[in-house]
Amino acid sequence: MKRRTSGLRGVGVAMILLWSLVPIYWAIKTSLQTEADARAKPAHYLPTNATWQNYATLLSGDGDVPAQIRRSTLNIVIECGAATVVTVLLATLAAYAFARMQFRGKTVLFYAVIATMAFPAYTTLIPLYRIMSTFGLVNTYTGIVLVYVSGFLPLATWILHNYFASLPSGIEEAGLVDGAHRLQVLWHLLLPLARPGIISTALITFLFAWGQFLFPLVLSSDLSTQPLTVVIASLQGRHVVPSTLLNAAGVLAIIVPAVLALAFNRYIVNGLLAGSTK
Amino acid sequence: MSASSSTAQPTATAQPASPPAGPATGSAPVRRSRVDLLPYLLIAPVMIFIALLALVPAVTTVVQSFFRVDALDPPTRFDGFGNFVRLAGDKALLGSIGNTVFYVVVGVALSTIIGIGAAVVLQKPFRGRSLVIAVLILPWALPGAVGGVLWTGIFDPNAGLINSVLSTLHLSDGNAVLLGQNRLLTITLIELVQVWQIAPLSVLLILAVLQLIPDELYEAAQIDGCTPWSAFLRITLPLARPGIAVTMVQAVIATLNVFDQPYVLNGAANTGASVTMQTYFISFQDLDFGGGYALSLLITLVTLVISLGVIRLVYRRVEL
Repeated sequence: MKRRTSGLRGVGVAMILLWSLVPIYWAIKTSLQTEADARAKPAHYLPTNATWQNYATLLSGDGDVPAQIRRSTLNIVIECGAATVVTVLLATLAAYAFARMQFRGKTVLFYAVIATMAFPAYTTLIPLYRIMSTFGLVNTYTGIVLVYVSGFLPLATWILHNYFASLPSGIEEAGLVDGAHRLQVLWHLLLPLARPGIISTALITFLFAWGQFLFPLVLSSDLSTQPLTVVIASLQGRHVVPSTLLNAAGVLAIIVPAVLALAFNRYIVNGLLAGSTK
Repeated sequence: MSASSSTAQPTATAQPASPPAGPATGSAPVRRSRVDLLPYLLIAPVMIFIALLALVPAVTTVVQSFFRVDALDPPTRFDGFGNFVRLAGDKALLGSIGNTVFYVVVGVALSTIIGIGAAVVLQKPFRGRSLVIAVLILPWALPGAVGGVLWTGIFDPNAGLINSVLSTLHLSDGNAVLLGQNRLLTITLIELVQVWQIAPLSVLLILAVLQLIPDELYEAAQIDGCTPWSAFLRITLPLARPGIAVTMVQAVIATLNVFDQPYVLNGAANTGASVTMQTYFISFQDLDFGGGYALSLLITLVTLVISLGVIRLVYRRVEL
């Protein structure tokens, strides 16, 4: 009976791995083929005659498509990096106050932040576009980063609040007895203890920002700020782009999140659970 | 706490260095009645962001739903339920509502079943489990739009994986058009891609709840002659209900608002357009912002109502 359950588990694990990896494998395989090989019948299930040509074209080639991919890669890195830094910084300060200080109106203000998580993100899509357009922030990094930060702050504050709240009480008193200012206590005593929570929050914020599509689709209409996701989707719509080149672009767009997810999965899992349950 | 509040007083310049007993006498009551500003300063940036870029837009959506806001038909003016009446007569929108109902039903069902199944597979520790979990969350971490691009290669009528396998197995000539031919198949395949990306979170949430179930329960059940299947039905499922409820709410919110996958996989075609896609078209192609606001408001209300309904139906507090 024990053997039977572990045999079943083997089947289950194999199905999980296949389900998760096959679409990614297929894209990598296609990206390493020539267009003729990729269209061959019967299909090559392995990248026979593998070539880096598609990646070479995208990374250093001339032409419209490679230039768009390179520029939008720069854009997505700038936008996600800036949004992550600002979100984590502001959320850390607020979460510290909400979790470890007493002040009037705390509960109401905290719920006001958390309640915005209950609304679907797209509720605010049109007003945000019109606000950004009123202030001339459409097609600017500032506009996109402001929208991302406002969208991610509630979850980031919530996750970090839970981390700060889980730290033992009395840390502040110990620090304050030593004559440290409360911000010094935050910086020297609490931040190091909350580091796993801060790393989780930063990773989750960065991955959410990297995955954005509809907001940047609306907020950036030209290549000056369009992130990689938007450019790839628009290439997909134009049927003149070879599928092998498109798949290479897709692989470029998933390398960063895939590496982060595999390397730091423990932080991500803990952060997601801290943010979703309770 | 009185010690800490004194540090936040920028005006308390007197006696710069006299920590021992003395300083409290005269000034303490005055200090205590002052408001400690530091926490407010710390939360101010977040509150300003939330107020200006979440609450104000949310209120705008509600209010402007009842206004005619049309870039091609100015000025903005009160219109009662005009936007809603216009939406009710929008054929493309009605079709997309049908599609979205399918997305929600298929997506919530599939992601919950996969979530429960995979969580049970991963429930007991085994060698390599953390690696399997790392691989499992991979699709969740990838952008939805790029997920659509990856799966285009699976569904492609010529060189796609599914058609290639079918023709290798001589089950078809390998040229079946999968997307866009038949509405139900199109929706199911598009939703499969979204499930690929939301199910990992379902697995994690349910797995977290399963980790709380003590092994003794299963051991006792086994001694009583319970088969693994009845142990699953009588122990695992009931105790996993809080996790399943949270999972289903996440899936409801994601599927009701699905945009990236149908937009990338099927374009504007009405065989797969979702309600959120119609919001986008109405607002940013027709420039009828009033209609867009009204539709956003409706989606939000429906999302909240269904989420609360799922919680009432599925959620049970579990005491262990």
